[in-house]
Amino acid sequence: MRLSFTVNGRQCEADDVWEGESLLYVLRERLGLPGSKNACEQGECGSCTVYLDGVPACACLVAAGQAAGREVGTVEGLAEGDGLGAVQESFVEAGAVQCGFCTPGLLVATDDLVNRVPHPSDAEIRESLAGNLCRCTGYEKIMDAVRLAADRRASSEASRSGKTDA
Amino acid sequence: MTTAEESMLRANAIGTPLTRLDGTEKVTGTAPYAVEHPVDSPAHLHPLQAAIALGRATGIDTSAAEAEPGVLAVLTHANAPRLASTGNGELEILQSGEVGYRGQFLGGVIAETPEIARRAADLIRVHYERYEHDVELRADRDDLYKPEQVNPAFDTDTAQGDADGALASAAVTLDATYSTPMEHNNPMEPHATIACWTDGELTLHDSTQGVYWTQAAVAPLFELDQQQVRVISPHVGGGFGSKGIPHPNVVLAAMAARLVPGRPVKFPLTRQQMFSVVGYRTPTIQHVRLGADEQGRLSAITLDVVEQTAKVKEFAEQTAIPTRTMYAAPHRRTSHRLAALDTPVPTWMRAPGECPGMFGPEVAMDEMALACGLDPIEFRVRNEPETDPESGLPFSSRNLVACLREGARRFGWHDRDPRPGTRRHGEWLVGTGVAASTYPVFAMPGSQATIRATPDGRYAVRIGAVDIGTGTWTALTQIAADALEVSVGEVDLEIGSTTLPTASGAGGSSGINSWGSPIVAAARTLRARLDEHGGTVPAEGVEATEGMPDNPHTSQYAMHSFGAQFAEVWVNADTGEVSVPRLLGIFAAGRIINARTGRSQLLGGMTMGLSMALHEESVLDPRFGHVVNHDLAEYHIATNADVGSLEVDWLDEHDPYVNPMGSKGIGELGITGTAAAITNAAYHATGIRVRELPLHPDKFLR
Amino acid sequence: MDFLRPTSWRDALEAKAHHPDATPIAGGTDVMVEINFDHRRPTSLLDLTGIDELASWSEHGGKLRIGAGLPYTRLIDELGDRLPGLAIAARTVGSPQIRNRGTLGGNLASASPAGDGHPPLLASGAEVEVESVRGTRLLPVEEFFTGVKRHALASDELISAVHIAPATGAQQFSKIGTRNAMVIAVCTFAIALHPERQRVGTGLGSAAPTPLRAIEAEEFLSGELADSGQWDSPRPLDDSVVRQFGDLVARAASPIDDVRSTADYRTHALGVMARRTLGWVWDEYRNHPSSTGRPECA
Repeated sequence: MRLSFTVNGRQCEADDVWEGESLLYVLRERLGLPGSKNACEQGECGSCTVYLDGVPACACLVAAGQAAGREVGTVEGLAEGDGLGAVQESFVEAGAVQCGFCTPGLLVATDDLVNRVPHPSDAEIRESLAGNLCRCTGYEKIMDAVRLAADRRASSEASRSGKTDA
Repeated sequence: MTTAEESMLRANAIGTPLTRLDGTEKVTGTAPYAVEHPVDSPAHLHPLQAAIALGRATGIDTSAAEAEPGVLAVLTHANAPRLASTGNGELEILQSGEVGYRGQFLGGVIAETPEIARRAADLIRVHYERYEHDVELRADRDDLYKPEQVNPAFDTDTAQGDADGALASAAVTLDATYSTPMEHNNPMEPHATIACWTDGELTLHDSTQGVYWTQAAVAPLFELDQQQVRVISPHVGGGFGSKGIPHPNVVLAAMAARLVPGRPVKFPLTRQQMFSVVGYRTPTIQHVRLGADEQGRLSAITLDVVEQTAKVKEFAEQTAIPTRTMYAAPHRRTSHRLAALDTPVPTWMRAPGECPGMFGPEVAMDEMALACGLDPIEFRVRNEPETDPESGLPFSSRNLVACLREGARRFGWHDRDPRPGTRRHGEWLVGTGVAASTYPVFAMPGSQATIRATPDGRYAVRIGAVDIGTGTWTALTQIAADALEVSVGEVDLEIGSTTLPTASGAGGSSGINSWGSPIVAAARTLRARLDEHGGTVPAEGVEATEGMPDNPHTSQYAMHSFGAQFAEVWVNADTGEVSVPRLLGIFAAGRIINARTGRSQLLGGMTMGLSMALHEESVLDPRFGHVVNHDLAEYHIATNADVGSLEVDWLDEHDPYVNPMGSKGIGELGITGTAAAITNAAYHATGIRVRELPLHPDKFLR
Repeated sequence: MDFLRPTSWRDALEAKAHHPDATPIAGGTDVMVEINFDHRRPTSLLDLTGIDELASWSEHGGKLRIGAGLPYTRLIDELGDRLPGLAIAARTVGSPQIRNRGTLGGNLASASPAGDGHPPLLASGAEVEVESVRGTRLLPVEEFFTGVKRHALASDELISAVHIAPATGAQQFSKIGTRNAMVIAVCTFAIALHPERQRVGTGLGSAAPTPLRAIEAEEFLSGELADSGQWDSPRPLDDSVVRQFGDLVARAASPIDDVRSTADYRTHALGVMARRTLGWVWDEYRNHPSSTGRPECA
């Protein structure tokens, strides 16, 4: 079947899509977007987390056809302009990246968290990221990165609203 | 001759928390992992795996699979390339229809898409002759055998003095058996390969811990010269040992690609396939006996280990190794015995030997401290050896006691009430525990580094090392910069390919030692050559290549890292649920090259230790010989929500003998002892001594 | 494989009637795993995510009608105050990503004995609305489960909704797993107080081939509370009552040994969870008899 949907704001088409294929496969193998990783194929590891109509989902559990006409956002879409997005930058700075395989999914999950919750508590962070397994870092540096990203997001929001007020 | 002190690298970049140089690629999703390398018109392989644990495939009907549109070839032992006999029964697949373990590769389908390959593989009909299989490890088996040596080349057994006699006359004794289960490495990136044959030469984009290790294993199988096999692996999504020695998936990919010459064949394993073909940590049964005098001084230590190997290939885990180094006692004995089973082949998993081997003995030390009426830290301090207990060599540096004391101070150990089962927080029983960590300083032979200086002020550093997430890209750049006495921004490091100078793999926490030392040597030679040019780089550039320098101190000192881990554990009095709100690790591992990546290595190691303590267990079904919980839904690794406060720090340890960097290696140290500290804390909480991992809730119900 | 994507419920029922072997898919959290793992290759997939009405809820005649396609995250956010027991259970499902996609309808259709959503539905006396082109049926949830991963749906039927009364008294849910997130239950227990009917509801998961109620325990406790006039003037419960309730819940179970735990542990833990959750709901009821109930029931 032919599949047409939006990825990172860009209209995309894929042909000859097998009906049982996952959105993850379409992204990686048909659209040349290997950022989302395939590590369990059962929604247990979160490495393939993408936005589906603005809501984080495991791309491995979305049938390709279910994405038709929808908006998908991947790690490749998190950059801001030519530079890294705040969440990406925080992960590098905090040392939250090791082997990097869980990183793309974690970045999407974190982006969602800091957009929804301006100042997440540690418990909220751990709970929100519980669906993203990491085998390298022990999560501590990921916690640091999320706190940093949340602070930055909050202060950039504050300065933006500050400007509006002025 | 320069002294050890004089040859030490002066730290400028090293020791700083330089951010990861591969970070940007990884957070943008652009770092290419094995099967993500762009290749033209790839074909896809789906394997055929044995559905029995032992026997023979008497007939494999591939006709339906071959008839599927889009199928390029079907691979079985009937048409597989003949492999040279290298004595590696794990890798020499498809040479007959024999089945040595369930899940073993019997063939595969190569097709235009992964789905066609998979569907066609489902159409293959295999007829088997079944033999009775044997997959159960027990200590009372009558066919346990003594391997010639244990991984990688340690003595199987050691003995000093008269341990049995000392135990018989000891004032206080302990005799207990501990066990650790089968565990699977489960790096986040499943093992994956792209194989392509062109003009009789093989290119492998492989997820590996050692490009040259893969080359060395694969080339002779296909009767190729080493340089006819090119292995490329710039980014690896974790390994933890299972990507060290190549496994049959690499061979199957190479065989499949041979049937479609010129076409790259992609073969990413699924998570489920990994549970039968890429190795695991053997289950261990550890019989510990300790004897001590009234003052708590150990007179005897024995550890007799029973573990498994596979009939198709031997792997002997060195579980008793740390016991040979940890504590003083005049009378001592260690041994390893194996059961050869019809199972997949065990392999390295983060700190093979030390990780399981610091569980039983470190829990035994806790039990013995109590039996002697001593605090477990004081008990360890009393049994601190002056020199390496078995070799008699002095330690190049040993700061176990300092780690224990510093950890105790930070953790708030001093006012601990040793009585178990006396602290409650609501329905939770609360306890604290301690255990030691250790890991040897390994240096692998054979690495070479080439450094080229060019007139534009750049330094190209080339070595066939790999980064499995540990931070090699970053740390080697820092080492090179300091050795060249330039800034990190002037260094261009290249790693991850056999087109670069030969190098050992990432294993045994030896990477920085084995790759950093030749880089330092090459940099020193280069600087001498630059001096000959009056300190300026001539137009044609200047180059230097050096190998791994001999370290005369290796035979003069025992070289090990140490650490102390502290755990607070809560056990639910009613349900037995276990929670670990607090972990602290204090380590002494020489100089830490990069504080940022180094801390994360140790934190990650401890978290894997927590995961081992609470969750990890591969359940092998004896009826069928396969791991039942063969996916990430049922094989639990710790999630973010399982970790509480986790803190790591290290002592400023100066060791000029280990290598010019003064670094000991930290990839594995962090996982050793964690499970024991948690188990000891769980005892302190409940009064229930669990000697079998993992600490599942049912073990805490009386 | 066909991919059917109706945009109205009517079309979905027509599609299911024409393709009785079609596999319905909503959040994909079970169906896609089976396809990814090559456990099955359905002849057609019937995607229900294009039907907006299926992912909505409404209130009729004092009951909530929860569309089978409402993701757990929305159920928690939008109905958590009125269905506290179900919301607690929903929060233990998988991970945020799974809860964003997974649905009650999918949980029911999988009919796993370990489904987290089932015990609170049992405790609340929920009904499952199933529909085909032939018509609509309303099944008590305990009649919906017919065996391990088996249910009462005919081949042309789809689950349209769950009907459940908003809580009139305290509700709780307890789950034991061997990990703090993303864990298939070792066992689960749900309890709901129904003061307006002077009844107690229960639900057990991972305790038998199907999710089930501990009917004897419900009868016992409802009787004890009614006989002692506790519904009107609640007092702390006697230990013997709590213990007996726990024992009866444990006795209702017929669990098995598996990779997650042992039958003995499950039996023990169900008793603990029953006693513990009873303590919580009774405390809540004593302190705020009307806090979660409807004003007219206070």
